[in-house]
Amino acid sequence: MNRATRIAVIVAMAIAVLAPIGLVVYQSFLDGPFFQPKTAFTFSAYEFVLDDEDFYEALSNSVVIAFGMTAIAVPVGAILAFLMTRTDLPGRRWIEPVILVPMFVSSVVLAFGFVVSLGPAGFVSLWVKGWLGFVPWYLYSKWTLIVIAGLTHVPHVFLYTSSALRSLGSDVEEAARMTGAGPLRVALTVSLPMVTPNILYAAVLVFFLGFELFGLPLVLGDPEGILVLATYLYKLTNKLGTPSYQLMAVVVVAIICIALPLVAMQRYLLRTANRYVSVKGKASAQRPVTIGFWRWPAVAVIVGWLAFTVVIPISGLVLRSFVSSWGEGVHLSEVLTLDHFRELTHFPNLVRGIVNTLLIASVGGALSVGVYTALNLAAHRWQSGWTRLMDYLVLLPRAMPGLVAGLAIFWVFLFTPFLSPMRQTMVAIWVAYTLVWLAYGMRLVSGALLQIGPELEEAGRVVGASAGRVSRDLTLPLIKVGLISSWLLIFITFMREYSTGVYLLSPGTEVIGSLLVSLWGSGAVDLVTALSTVNIAMIGCGLLLMSLFGKRSHG
Amino acid sequence: MSRKFALLVATALTIASPLLTAAAVQAQSVPAGYDPAYAKIIEAANQEGALSIYSATDAAAVSELLKGFEALYPKIKLEYADQNSTEMYNRFISEAAANSGTADLMWSSAMDLQIKLVNDGYAQPYASPEVKTLPAWANWKNEAYGTTAEPIVFAYNKRLVAEADVPKTHADLTKLLTDKADAFKGKVTSYDPERSGVGFLYITQDAQASKSTWDLVKAMGQTGVKLYTSSGAMIERLTSGEHTIGYNMIGSYVLERQKKDPASIGVVLPSDYTIIMSRIAFIPKAAKHPNAAKLFLDYLLSKPGQEAMVARYMGSIRTDLAHINPTADMPEAMLRPIHVGPELLTYLDQVKRLKFLKDWQKSLQGK
Repeated sequence: MNRATRIAVIVAMAIAVLAPIGLVVYQSFLDGPFFQPKTAFTFSAYEFVLDDEDFYEALSNSVVIAFGMTAIAVPVGAILAFLMTRTDLPGRRWIEPVILVPMFVSSVVLAFGFVVSLGPAGFVSLWVKGWLGFVPWYLYSKWTLIVIAGLTHVPHVFLYTSSALRSLGSDVEEAARMTGAGPLRVALTVSLPMVTPNILYAAVLVFFLGFELFGLPLVLGDPEGILVLATYLYKLTNKLGTPSYQLMAVVVVAIICIALPLVAMQRYLLRTANRYVSVKGKASAQRPVTIGFWRWPAVAVIVGWLAFTVVIPISGLVLRSFVSSWGEGVHLSEVLTLDHFRELTHFPNLVRGIVNTLLIASVGGALSVGVYTALNLAAHRWQSGWTRLMDYLVLLPRAMPGLVAGLAIFWVFLFTPFLSPMRQTMVAIWVAYTLVWLAYGMRLVSGALLQIGPELEEAGRVVGASAGRVSRDLTLPLIKVGLISSWLLIFITFMREYSTGVYLLSPGTEVIGSLLVSLWGSGAVDLVTALSTVNIAMIGCGLLLMSLFGKRSHG
Repeated sequence: MSRKFALLVATALTIASPLLTAAAVQAQSVPAGYDPAYAKIIEAANQEGALSIYSATDAAAVSELLKGFEALYPKIKLEYADQNSTEMYNRFISEAAANSGTADLMWSSAMDLQIKLVNDGYAQPYASPEVKTLPAWANWKNEAYGTTAEPIVFAYNKRLVAEADVPKTHADLTKLLTDKADAFKGKVTSYDPERSGVGFLYITQDAQASKSTWDLVKAMGQTGVKLYTSSGAMIERLTSGEHTIGYNMIGSYVLERQKKDPASIGVVLPSDYTIIMSRIAFIPKAAKHPNAAKLFLDYLLSKPGQEAMVARYMGSIRTDLAHINPTADMPEAMLRPIHVGPELLTYLDQVKRLKFLKDWQKSLQGK
């Protein structure tokens, strides 16, 4: 890309990001909705929020949860990625798709799965109670929430790290093994440090996900009233009786204030990104590291993690979809039923919802990866103020909790004349999703780009190819694996996303996520679990097929 | 009564549906008992050809109602968007401000938010021909209409609460929780008025209905009551036995669950007084298809419309259908409907609202 195109791309992105964010910041200084005639400038919203005890409670809970879950998810995810991509661990081809399961189940539903299994009347709890006479854990404490949040975000770190590890040559690892390092030492001092940028990105993003965590605290924090920032927004609305946008906006500004130093830190840590180049002019073959005896503890760790994060909640969920009742004093064999699935077939707009979801996730996801790649190429090998600006901008949309992001993007569509005709189409929903998940997709692609040695592109230029041709024929093919896993991540993310699009959804554009939430609200848990079970089966089949046919092409 | 009745309605609807279609073919006759001039509204609505409804009631629960309307007026393309009541409010006021088209009919169980919108001048008046069948409290200025009469109930786990313990009145509940505070430790559940709008509405109604409400709150506080934001979460945990008694539950959702799982869930309509809530509908001034909206509102209030709602346990607002409601056996004087009107605005006043929440917190902590 030439300089003018690069600047144009970055400016376009800046407008897309700053429109909703700017609106929210502006709203935070008003005394009423910005679109109503009699509003005035004031700091009263800041005074209210900064004076509210609940805000500090929610903020400190969010910080603790975000730190805690990052501290759990990053090491586990990174080790898992190493084991899956770099070693001869038995059965890894089968384990890999299962690892991703917690990502594509809506977090409200996943949390509910934990309630059915591990809650005070859950089936695992009752079973343990039968043995011990008491239940040795309590599902609704802050610490359980952190552990569950941490373990269910392992797949995010896994995806980021494994895509980078896949394109790493084996030369360095072999050298380490030959000089006598054990597999763990190879992982910790050679392989994982080589993909530091990806792990670091993953850490920052998981930290951010921790900040806008909603589904898990909504269900698991409900009984004890554990507030986090996203659920605080609800409480705020209710405390005043009507939604108060300026107060919500202040909370977003607070999150932005936390986000910006984080980006600065990340930039500082990665100031010498060229150290992490691994795809060089000289090709190197990939051979898995043999881990010998270590395979057994490794398998034990993985199976343990899978049992807790996948098997327990999902079995709770699936079980619930096949019974009419559960809990203390219920014999499950007497309450088995297929009624919920039968009822599901009568559900209005179900097929349309499923089709829309698949469309937005597959086609929309692919288009989004295209956008993210274009943005990355615009900043590729270019040190300037523009790229610095971009680093700060990409994270901003995620600083808005889904609820507020949805509202802000809806406003942008509603009050911008040339955008408003698109408001009730899938296009608007796609734009919203692409924007909110900008940081995630961007980082996946850029992680792959950082690994490519500059000499390859320079060679292309030397033999006379234009900048465009180098991107097309050289850079893009080299990051193919990275792009495919980006698409996979985005597919899964879009599959369960809904809150961002909630105001843009209308009859004809409903998605599974929104159907689930409206059912959950009216207590139709039967349908929620049946629909989720169908959803899991659908994506499970897709992932299985992918691992059966797709593996070999990764080389 | 409920199960038999649902079956009856379902059968009636099956028999009636060919008749309905036949009626529709006959060039849209005016419903029986309506002024002949109503034909003009039907004609105008057919010209509009579309109708957009924003509703807080999920589409699955009203599918029969919607089918009935579509069979009656096949030329009107119905768009039904269900969303939560806060989202609905946000979306509506934004769209109204942008002047770019919004709902033709707003229909929500968040009674206070609906009345606020009507009070703020967002509604247009329409005198429904069905108005004479409604109780006076269900109609405000011919702008806001209560469309259902749904009891707020106690729910309990049948397997785990002894029949003798099941409370019949609010006083019974207070006594039970005081006498057996240890047995019910962590077993009582209700809406959190600090985090749930409807929960707030019901408990403020309680406080107006009876001074001893604060004793009940105190008793609940002593058992370490678990407070939630959604009925789904509460009903599910009542079924499982994680909690055993639920206070101020929305009757229609609990009865619906009881139908599916009669062995687990029991329902009590408190006999000292039972709060009745109503889903409020209004036609916005900004409606692009006001005539279609009028037809829907009338259909919703008509006998067939109300019967379709009763089949899903949303009690009928019509005085002539009161006998098929879940509350049919209760003396009229014991029912305490939440009036559709400006009284609902009282607690949207910030100072009053925060004061009430403070009192609630105090009682809960036993002070």
